[in-house]
Amino acid sequence: MAEILRLENINYSYIDGGYERSILKDLSYTFEAGKFYTILGPSGSGKTTLLSLIAGLDEPKSGNIYFEGRNVKEIGLHKYRRNDISIVFQQYNLISYLTAHENVMLAMSETDNKLPNDRKQVAYALLAKFGIVETKANRMVNQLSGGEQQRVAIARSLASNVNLIFADEPTGNLDTATEKEIINVFKELSHEYGKTVIVVTHSDTVSEMSDQRVLLKDGILQDI
Amino acid sequence: MNFFQRAIKNITRRKTKSILLLITFFVIGNFVIIGLGVSQASQSAKILTRQKMRAVVTYSTDWRKIDKYVQELEDEDKIQEFYNNYPRISITDVQEMLKDERVRTANAVSINTVYANEELDFVHLGNQAEENRGGGTSCYYDDATGEQTCVEYVEPNFLMKGNYFPDMIEFADGGYTISEGRFYTQDDLDNARPVVLVTRALADHNNLRIGDTITLMLQSPTDIETYLGNYGITIEDVSREFEIIGIFEHNTPLLPDSPNYDYASPYENPDNMMLIPNTAFDDMRLSIAQKQFDYWAENNPEEEYYQIPDNRPTEEDVLYLNDVTLLLNDPLEVDGFVEEYSDKVGQFFSLNANNEEFQRLSKPLDTLSLYAKFIVWLVVINAVVIITLVTALTLKNREYEIGVLLSIGASKAKIVAQFFIELAIVAILGFTLSIVSGSMIANKVGQTVLDYQIASSGINEGEDYDYYDYNNVWDTDYSSDVTLDDLVSEYNVSVSPVIIAEIYVVGLGIVLVSTIIPSMMIMRFNPKRILMNQN
Repeated sequence: MAEILRLENINYSYIDGGYERSILKDLSYTFEAGKFYTILGPSGSGKTTLLSLIAGLDEPKSGNIYFEGRNVKEIGLHKYRRNDISIVFQQYNLISYLTAHENVMLAMSETDNKLPNDRKQVAYALLAKFGIVETKANRMVNQLSGGEQQRVAIARSLASNVNLIFADEPTGNLDTATEKEIINVFKELSHEYGKTVIVVTHSDTVSEMSDQRVLLKDGILQDI
Repeated sequence: MNFFQRAIKNITRRKTKSILLLITFFVIGNFVIIGLGVSQASQSAKILTRQKMRAVVTYSTDWRKIDKYVQELEDEDKIQEFYNNYPRISITDVQEMLKDERVRTANAVSINTVYANEELDFVHLGNQAEENRGGGTSCYYDDATGEQTCVEYVEPNFLMKGNYFPDMIEFADGGYTISEGRFYTQDDLDNARPVVLVTRALADHNNLRIGDTITLMLQSPTDIETYLGNYGITIEDVSREFEIIGIFEHNTPLLPDSPNYDYASPYENPDNMMLIPNTAFDDMRLSIAQKQFDYWAENNPEEEYYQIPDNRPTEEDVLYLNDVTLLLNDPLEVDGFVEEYSDKVGQFFSLNANNEEFQRLSKPLDTLSLYAKFIVWLVVINAVVIITLVTALTLKNREYEIGVLLSIGASKAKIVAQFFIELAIVAILGFTLSIVSGSMIANKVGQTVLDYQIASSGINEGEDYDYYDYNNVWDTDYSSDVTLDDLVSEYNVSVSPVIIAEIYVVGLGIVLVSTIIPSMMIMRFNPKRILMNQN
């Protein structure tokens, strides 16, 4: 499979109580396109830090991240976030004064990627695909259940037509049934739509359903 | 879902916050409208009243400055020398001022009574003064003999106004109008041509026409006979034949209800006024003065003054000007003109805008305008502080939203623009509503504060006495009477298009300034920190 994201000698540390604490140590790893990855690791191992680096929310102290062969630094973090990736958060992170449909439209309006002309209908279709029918799509997001909100967040992540989707504990707030539903959605995205999904999780249920489980331990990634 | 649409959604869906902001802007708007309305009304009242006043500037010898200067001179000879050559207004300087496009015309007018021969009858008023007329006795001390001499005199019938410029303020502002013929020209002035304009009433009374001639005398034949003859002055020396070149009408009739109607001499009746080029009698005036000097020099050998040839009257001594009145095109240009030329006229001269009473009466309006502007600034500064704080506090609650927007790639500039638009829309709505309410209350509030200001300033109309009401023919008052009522009647607080434009500019200014600090906060936001904290 083709490479989509390559991490080369990534180092990350921060100052804690006057001491430098190293989180990622010369970390290198390659993610392939169209696969569903889960990143596991004990608490404090740096999973969320790693996610913030590969999602362009932060920069490593040293090392390089390549997206489809291009250095993310050269792409620009802002542009990278806008056009190349999308993120699904544990807290869904939807805009509360917008409807589900408008939240999806929001992602469409920010990207430079080529999108269909009938964006409104595409947004409804995306939501419907994840079980959010039009009547619910027109509700304010805080009128939806947790599972529904997470589906909206996933629909939003797809709206900008990117190939790389990150998720940070996306099922952390959901019941088991909904968790499985969401995992199936991620699987579908990678297997049917060719998207690469990288999920940071503690959940064995989630990791067991992924194509590749990766462990972050002692600052490095290794396949399990 | 661009940033503008997001802003609209935020306003319409977060109603409580929007309504609170709307009320804030509405209250601010009302204060600003009242402040701007009162300030503008005060300024407009002054401008409108000033525009109604004559745009006259008096250029005169400043005797106070001269006195002060002389007091500082200790040497008697220097004092005498200064008095012999004291500064005089120069016609040339006035001609330079006339080249200024702001100046319409100037009056450098000499006013004299004149006599006419018996063929010219004055226009009669039929008043008490005419019934008792006939002259009288005038006494003086003869320096030559040291004795009192009393002579008979005959009262003059006519008044002569001569200007050194080929126009007069009275014509320029419509007080006089030419009904036939023409006014005298610069050529007439330069050549001292004996031409005259008479009033319509005088012309009709004597059946005078353009081209007719009349003989005018600076002194009466009786004066020549009784004492002027002693100086060698003959009737020919004081008489000149004038050609009538124009007939004019005036708007200053002496009416029976005038305070001095009964006691007005014929020459005080404006119908008996004549207008001549001032130069037409210059040579005659100089000649008379010189003959008198020569007489005293011959008959008072012990008087040192008369033995000094330099003291013999010259043109400068006889034909000087004490003051010149300039008429400007626009009353609003008067103050600027005075300021500009005050430095150019010599140290012993002054320019006066003739607006002291206007300045005195307009003090309450000035104070009101100052307070109103102060209130506007106070409200604007407070508004900026309040709105900034509200926005900054709101921003804290919206960190999460900002993080989301940043994570999906929205630029910080667009986020700032969204916040600005949210505030701007509410501000425009609030200010628009305040225009409606402000229009209704501004006039009431404005009138109340003006009444209070007038009452507390102690300004009143002053003495209701006008010297010029008594038809003083010797000193024309070119300034305009202005009363407190004139100013107050022009004071009208209303919400003009200018104020409406200003209120929106002020409103958007408040929004802009209020967005700066929150914007700086947004620029410092790190999406990772916001979102990871949230999670």
